[in-house]
Amino acid sequence: MNKNTNKKASPNLFNLVQRFSVPLMFILICAVCIPLSGLSANMLINEIVTRMGRNAFLILSLLIPIMAGMGLNFGMTLGAMAAEIALIFVSDWQIVGIPGMVLAAFISIPISVLLGIFCGKILNEAKGREMITSYIMSFFINGIYQLVVLYLMGSVIPIKHGSIKLPRGYGIRNTVSLLSMRQKLDNLLAIQVAGVKIPVLTFIIIALLCLFIVWFSKTKLGQDMRAVGQDMEVARDAGINVERTRIISIVMSTVLAGFGMIIYLQNMGNIATYSAHSQIGMFCIAALLVGGASVDRASIGNVFLGVILFHTMFIVAPKAGAAITGDSMIGEYFRVFVSYAVITLALVMYETNKRRAKSAAGQQLQAAQDAEEAAGKEKA
Amino acid sequence: MTKDKFKAALKSFGLPRLIIAGFLLLLLIMAPFVGADLPTQISNIINRFSWNGILVLAMVPMVHSGCGLNFGLPLGIISGLLGATLSIEFGFTGPLSFLAAVVIATPFALILGALYGWLLNKIKGGEMMIATYVGFSSVSLMCMMWLILPYHSPNMVWGLSGKGLRTTISLEGYYIGALAKIGQINIGAISIPTGTLLFFALLAFAIWAFLHTKTGTAMTAVGSNPAFARAAGINVDKIRMLSVIMSTWLAAIGILVYEQGFGFIQLYMAPFYMALPAVSAILIGGASVNKATIMNVIVGTILFQGIVTMTPTVMNNMIHMDMSEVIRIIASMGMILFALTRKTEAAK
Amino acid sequence: MKNKRQLLFRVGAILIILAICAVMFVIGRGHTVYFDNKETSYNGQTIEPFYKVTVTVGNQKPSKLSKGDRGMADIMGQKLTMTLEITDKEGDQPHAHKVSMSVPYNMDGIMINIPALMQGLPQDAYMSEFIIETPDTGSTDEEIVTDEFDMGGDM
Repeated sequence: MNKNTNKKASPNLFNLVQRFSVPLMFILICAVCIPLSGLSANMLINEIVTRMGRNAFLILSLLIPIMAGMGLNFGMTLGAMAAEIALIFVSDWQIVGIPGMVLAAFISIPISVLLGIFCGKILNEAKGREMITSYIMSFFINGIYQLVVLYLMGSVIPIKHGSIKLPRGYGIRNTVSLLSMRQKLDNLLAIQVAGVKIPVLTFIIIALLCLFIVWFSKTKLGQDMRAVGQDMEVARDAGINVERTRIISIVMSTVLAGFGMIIYLQNMGNIATYSAHSQIGMFCIAALLVGGASVDRASIGNVFLGVILFHTMFIVAPKAGAAITGDSMIGEYFRVFVSYAVITLALVMYETNKRRAKSAAGQQLQAAQDAEEAAGKEKA
Repeated sequence: MTKDKFKAALKSFGLPRLIIAGFLLLLLIMAPFVGADLPTQISNIINRFSWNGILVLAMVPMVHSGCGLNFGLPLGIISGLLGATLSIEFGFTGPLSFLAAVVIATPFALILGALYGWLLNKIKGGEMMIATYVGFSSVSLMCMMWLILPYHSPNMVWGLSGKGLRTTISLEGYYIGALAKIGQINIGAISIPTGTLLFFALLAFAIWAFLHTKTGTAMTAVGSNPAFARAAGINVDKIRMLSVIMSTWLAAIGILVYEQGFGFIQLYMAPFYMALPAVSAILIGGASVNKATIMNVIVGTILFQGIVTMTPTVMNNMIHMDMSEVIRIIASMGMILFALTRKTEAAK
Repeated sequence: MKNKRQLLFRVGAILIILAICAVMFVIGRGHTVYFDNKETSYNGQTIEPFYKVTVTVGNQKPSKLSKGDRGMADIMGQKLTMTLEITDKEGDQPHAHKVSMSVPYNMDGIMINIPALMQGLPQDAYMSEFIIETPDTGSTDEEIVTDEFDMGGDM
């Protein structure tokens, strides 16, 4: 309580700049790169709107585990893999268009829930190192995913169509076409504003998810999650089932990530079977952090600011890099580097702040003890 | 009673480790029946062991000082790559270029290691995640650098544009087999790279001996109980920094030894995930997040490389499906997951 | 009591989800319909193709079929509704027909012979399954690229 009032009393400029250092840095990068890239404003806005529709849902799925104090959920890849499996089935059954997406979403739920429970249980065994564990988890499940998709599908799990299956008779091809679903969601109710296509329905779905997250954070379960995120021991003493709450938060995140991946893939129009999910976690987390979120605090605003800034950088960097050095590869490596650097920076800032807070708390405790002792002596 | 004992032993050994060891044993038994050529297999395992041993050894110092598994191995690998490319750029050839590469890589490893150690001292408790991302950031930064840096050696740059390093550089005429060819023994199909094995043994012995010096025991103390170590007057930060520098340097040397065996320098994204096999190898060998011995390194590397070489042939001959890649991912990641979930080691 | 209600609620929810899934299976089933304006025979009777047929399905691009041509359209769900503009002989005025039919669930590709359809013959005369040859990419097997999660091929 005391600490809070202190913080509010001195909102000095330095702290503010430090908190928003990453978004500020990105605004600078974008400001330099946009003119160099030579992209027209119309094209740029079009791209950003498209990418907003494509990625926002995925990034929003990261918010709930942050609320529960489990850090950045690198395990969101699990949901993405569940969605891909569901979509492979749906395309094999030739269910097309929006019904196909709805069906894929429902099929992805049980897979996501199972993976989420598994992930949550493992993370409960690895308290304090959730992020690295969820990160390794994404690799582990990727191994299982490859086992299922590359060897079991077609041999054990029936897959009918030769356009999906590898010529050798089992395993799925490198790309599975989603032409029958391509941008069906985006184009329904889409409107053109000054040459910019706005996928209204996709945005409505994203808005609904935002409302859900706001509503959820006010429910009993949401409050429990916050409490667990603040201090597990205190939450346990208050009668909250900490383990269960944490598992639920991971399950919700995984399921939402699965839905997000379906939206993402319907926009792309095909599934890169063995690589679509691999970078998703990294880019979503980088985007969220660019929006000013930290490992233990993230809001819906961070998501949208992050999408805009991160993807602007993503679009203009290769072009700007080519303009400066004459080699477009440099720009591509640059944006990968920036993504990783942002995550590194955010992790370092989080850990140093945590240590500082810890030592401050220790000092406070020490001071309180000293004062008590002094008071005790005076009494004596 | 014995059942409980057995259970306890199983628990300490770990189910994943048991499965992996059993799996390898099964592969070895199956190999002759499915017509795999055992001598070639064994020769492969020995060679791969000699290539990779030092990269796995690089885990030991940081585990000892309590910095956890060195997921930031790519940083050290980058130092090694700088040494390798600069050695060629400066015109060294033959086995001498290996020595030059080691000499040039060393200052890079020391400086980068010191920076890395300084960073890890600032974020005690979150080392592994940050190490991972330090590795990634440095690899992607170097991707740009390999393109930009003014390398000119025609054997390394892209032929057409005359600038920017190639993704793979052949070591033919440079230090290919620089160590392996020293006293190489050939018995039938089995060839033993004596020089590389001796070099590994030398470094492993050096680390073992170091861990028994005063500084070495201090390092172990810092790892097992930092508060106690601090009370005993040990400069915790300094010891941790030293361990990180050692790990980074070993990684730099490790990648050079790997290259002399493999025959190529791999640049750009190649070092990206190199930490993961090394991490899982030492864990398979019996190490944990805060405990690792030289024996763990040796056993782990043999087991890991055994699986890597044996699975493709045995699997292919048996069921005509090459599932080795998938099995390797599941086995090694499962092992890391298991190690991360051990409660006793989570205590800081 | 509370547990029982909760259970009931859960079973209900699962049933609703399953029902939605079932509906999606039906309304979302995609078919590719191929239209033939070709000569065909049925019970020894030869059916001549029309001079020209224009087939329109939904808002998809109409396919104009001369004698011996084939067109195609994608449909969703179990009902095919199309507008046919038929010109019997050269110089004739085209006459329009609206045709609706249900299509078999199990067929991915459905071939419809329009002259046979307009003759009012039974379904097996004008409708047949069209099986697409698996596009052979030339090589016997496709190289699988597992990309970023690949562990560098080696250590």
